[in-house]
Order: sequence, then structure tokens, then C-alpha cells
Amino acid sequence: MDLDLDVKLSIYRHFAATGARPSAEQIAARVNADVCDVLQAYRRLQAARLLVLEDYGIEIRMAPPFSGVPTQHVVESGGVRYFANCAWDALGIPAALGAPSTVRSRCEWTMDPLELVVTAAGLEAPPMLFHCAVPAAHWWRDIVFT
Amino acid sequence: MLFFRSEECVREWCHANGMPVRPRVRMDQLWAMARAWYATRLDPGSRRPQPDEIPRIFANLGLGDPFWDPQADSFESPAR
Repeated sequence: MDLDLDVKLSIYRHFAATGARPSAEQIAARVNADVCDVLQAYRRLQAARLLVLEDYGIEIRMAPPFSGVPTQHVVESGGVRYFANCAWDALGIPAALGAPSTVRSRCEWTMDPLELVVTAAGLEAPPMLFHCAVPAAHWWRDIVFT
Repeated sequence: MLFFRSEECVREWCHANGMPVRPRVRMDQLWAMARAWYATRLDPGSRRPQPDEIPRIFANLGLGDPFWDPQADSFESPAR
């Protein structure tokens, strides 16, 4: 397995197991590599749009659908709490985990809480809508804003 | 990329934030989008949909507007 794939899988599996972002040191230990090599792999994965790093290039801001920082989109599954980057990713986490999940978020206009439930039978959601203000061609110009 | 209770909430939020109203997505469509992008994300063979594949994925979900095409250069679709 090449280093980039090993690093990518280790990051995603750490998020899935813990709900939190791993440090570069944790990933280096997991893949038996130097931290510098791991950070170089981070940059290649960011170029492939599989990671978004914090501005200083060391900590993971996003490993979509997982968020490395708290957001208003909270997913609970298997006793683990996750943060999602956006409404799309809020459903992406249950899809990635393949496990029953509860998604708690809000209506961005009224700030009313919203809850969605994913079971083996599929998605149970109240009447609500998803809206994206940024066209797909511009999503990655500023993915944090998107 | 946000949740809203209703069409009215989308319009009010867009107006208040100076944003155009874009195509709205139902929850069944969003769930299908989530599965298309992320269902295999934890697997070794996982790959992101590529730009030339994305319009077809969205079109199959009933989202055929150029707004959803990452290679489109026109996406000023009117509010619907």
C-alpha cells in the first residue's frame, strides 16, 4: 500500500473511530513513517481534495465528510459524536459509517433545531430542504465558506 | 450548504444575506448525494467522483441544472 493511501485510510478510520481529528504524530505512528513524510502526504491529499488543512498546514480542518472542528451539524452513531462540515456531509457521515445515526442540525433562517434519523431502512427526516449558495464550479475556491 | 425548514426560509435567508436563491434539494435527494460521495469513503478502493462524472450523478437524482456541473461556466439559473 502506498503512503498516501495508508495515510488517507488512517485519517478516515481515526475520525470514524473517535469523531476527532488525529494529529500528524498519531498518523505517523499508525503508518510507521516520519512526521515530515506524513505532512507531505497531507499536502498531496489536499491537492486531491480528500483533505483540507488548517492554514498553517499541519492540523486537519476537514476530511470530508468529517470535520476536525466543531460545527452546527452533529452526528451521533455507536456512542460516538461527530461534527460534519456542512448539511451534505451531515448525511455523508452516516453514509460513510454505514450505521444507524442521528443527525442534529438547525434551520439556518429560524435557528430551529432539526433532527434526522438514519436506520437500516434509510433516512427519516421531517419536511425540510437543502440549499447551497455556491455553484459546483466554485465549491473549492473557498471550501470552508461553501 | 445548509438546512432550511421551508422554501420561505430559504428565500428569507438568501435575501438577508444578499445571495441568489439556488436550486433546492429534497432530503431524499440529499441522502442519495451523501451515499454517492461517501458510502465507500472508509474503504481502500474509495475514490471521489471526478468532474466529468459529477453531472451524470446529479442528473440521475433529478438535479440536471448547470449549477451542479463543476465544469460549467454558466449557472445563473433563475430561482424556481
